Amino acid sequence: MLYLLKTELYKIFRKPRSYIGFIAITAIVLLIEMAMYVDGKMYMMFFLQQIDANFQIEGNMLSGNMVCYLILQTLIIQMPLLVALVTGDLVSGEAASGTIRFLLTRPFSRTQIVSTKFIAGSVYVITLVIWLGILAWGGGLLIFGDGDLIVLKSDQIIILRAGDTIWRFLAAFGIALLSLCVVAAFSLMLSCFTDNSIGPIVASIAVIILFTIIGTMDLPLFEYIKPFLFTTHMIIWRNMFDNPLDLELIHNSLLILVFYIVLFLGIAIYHFNKKDITQ
Amino acid sequence: MIKYFQIGICLLILSHNWLKPIVIENKKITQTPAQLLNELVLKFNKIQNYQADVQMQFDIPFMRIDPLQGKVYFKQPDKFRVKTEGIAFLPKQNPYYALAAISDSNQYAAVESGTELIGTISTRIINVLPQNHPELVLAKFWIDPNRKLILKSQLTTKTNGTVQIEYQYGAMATYTLPDQMTFTIEIGKFKIPKTMAIEINAKKKEQSVEKPRETGIIQLKFSNYLLNQKIDDKVFSENSK
Repeated sequence: MLYLLKTELYKIFRKPRSYIGFIAITAIVLLIEMAMYVDGKMYMMFFLQQIDANFQIEGNMLSGNMVCYLILQTLIIQMPLLVALVTGDLVSGEAASGTIRFLLTRPFSRTQIVSTKFIAGSVYVITLVIWLGILAWGGGLLIFGDGDLIVLKSDQIIILRAGDTIWRFLAAFGIALLSLCVVAAFSLMLSCFTDNSIGPIVASIAVIILFTIIGTMDLPLFEYIKPFLFTTHMIIWRNMFDNPLDLELIHNSLLILVFYIVLFLGIAIYHFNKKDITQ
Repeated sequence: MIKYFQIGICLLILSHNWLKPIVIENKKITQTPAQLLNELVLKFNKIQNYQADVQMQFDIPFMRIDPLQGKVYFKQPDKFRVKTEGIAFLPKQNPYYALAAISDSNQYAAVESGTELIGTISTRIINVLPQNHPELVLAKFWIDPNRKLILKSQLTTKTNGTVQIEYQYGAMATYTLPDQMTFTIEIGKFKIPKTMAIEINAKKKEQSVEKPRETGIIQLKFSNYLLNQKIDDKVFSENSK
C-alpha cells in the first residue's frame, strides 16, 4: 500500500500541471502582499471609513495577521479549482493514457487503488495548504509584523488580539485542508466515471463555481438549497475568527464535510469496482 | 436705658456671629459660573503634563473588541494621546478641548442652567459657549462646587458630533485628574456590502425587533500617573509609534 502511495505521489509531482497551483498561489500571495505594502493603509481605511467617521483608530491596522486573513478570503474560490486541476484526472488520466489496465494488474484491490489515489491527492492538498501558510502567514508576519486582526463582516467588526490569532489560523488552515479534501474526493469521484482526462476537471470546476454563485445570491429558493451544498460548509474556516465561536455551527459543518468525503469516496470506490475496464 | 443698650449690643454681637457663615454660604452660592470655571482651570493648570497607564474597555453595538491596555499622554493646553500596542477605537473628541477653551474667561460665555444630583453629589450645570474655537461649539459641565471637579461634561464639536464624558475621581482628585473617564459617543449604523466583506454563503440573520443602540461606550481607567515630567511633542504626532 505504501509502495502504491509512493507511486501515486510520484505520478502527481511528476506532472508539470501539479505545479500550476504552487505557481498561482505564489503569484497571488506575493502580488497581494506587495500591493498591501504599497497601498494597504488606504485599502484598510476604505473599509473602515464608516468607523473613522466616529472613532479615532489607534494601533497597527495592517499586520501580518490581517494580510494573511485577506489573502485567505481572496483564495476561497481559487484554491478548489487548483486542487481539481490535479485530482480531477487521477483515474481518468490513467484511463485516457491506457495505464489503468497495467495498474489493475498489480496485486492491489480496486478499493485500495482508489483510496490510495485519494490519499495521494490529499497529500498534494496538504503541501499546497502548507505552501499557502508559509507565504501568506509567514510572509505576512515577516513583512508587516505581528498585530491585531480586524475581521470585517457586513454588519459587524471583530477585533482579535494578536495572541488570540495563532490557534485560530492553525484551525482555519486545518479546516481549509479538510474542505479541499472534499474537492479532491469530488473530482476523484467524477474522474472514475469517465475515460476523458479533461472532463472531470472541467466538471469539478464548473460545479464549484455554480455552487459558489448559488451561495453568493440571497434568493429565497437558494436559501433551501445552500445547506446541502458542500461549498457552503467549505468556508466554515471563516467562523474560526468569530468571537465568541459558534461551536455548534463549526462542528456541524465539519461533520458534513467529512460526510461528503466519505460519500464521494464511497461512490468512487463503488463505481470503480463495478467499472468494466476494457481499454 | 442702659438695659436696652446692653440688649442691643448683645443682639448685634449674636447677629454678627450667626450671620457670618450665612454670608459666606451666600458668597459660595452666588459664585458666578465664570468664577467657578476659573477656579477649576487654575486647579488644573498646576499640571503641565502627565502620563499614565490606561485600561480601555469598549461597548460598541456593532463591534466585538476585547479590553486593551496602553499609555495616555497629556500636555497643556490640550494635547492628548492614547497609545496602544493593539487596535483601539477611541473617541475623536479630545476631552481637554473644553478645559482649554475655558482657560481664558474672555473667550467664552458661561450660563448656569440649574443643578443636578450625580450620585449623592449636587452639581451645578454650566453651559459654555466658546468664541472663535476652531472645533468646540458648545460645552456643558456638571461641576461639584465643593471639590471644584467636573463630574460630567457634554461636548458638541463641529466635525465630530457630541460626546458625553463621565468622570470618577480617586487619589488624584486634588489635581483634577480622574481615575476613570467614560465616553458615550453617538454612532451611526455600520453596514458594508456582503461582497465587500467577502461573506459568501453567510447565513441570513433574523431581524431583531429591538432598535439597535445608537451610542457607543468607551471606558478609560487610569493608573500610575506621572505628573509634570518631560514629554516629547513627538508623542502626540499621528505617526509616532
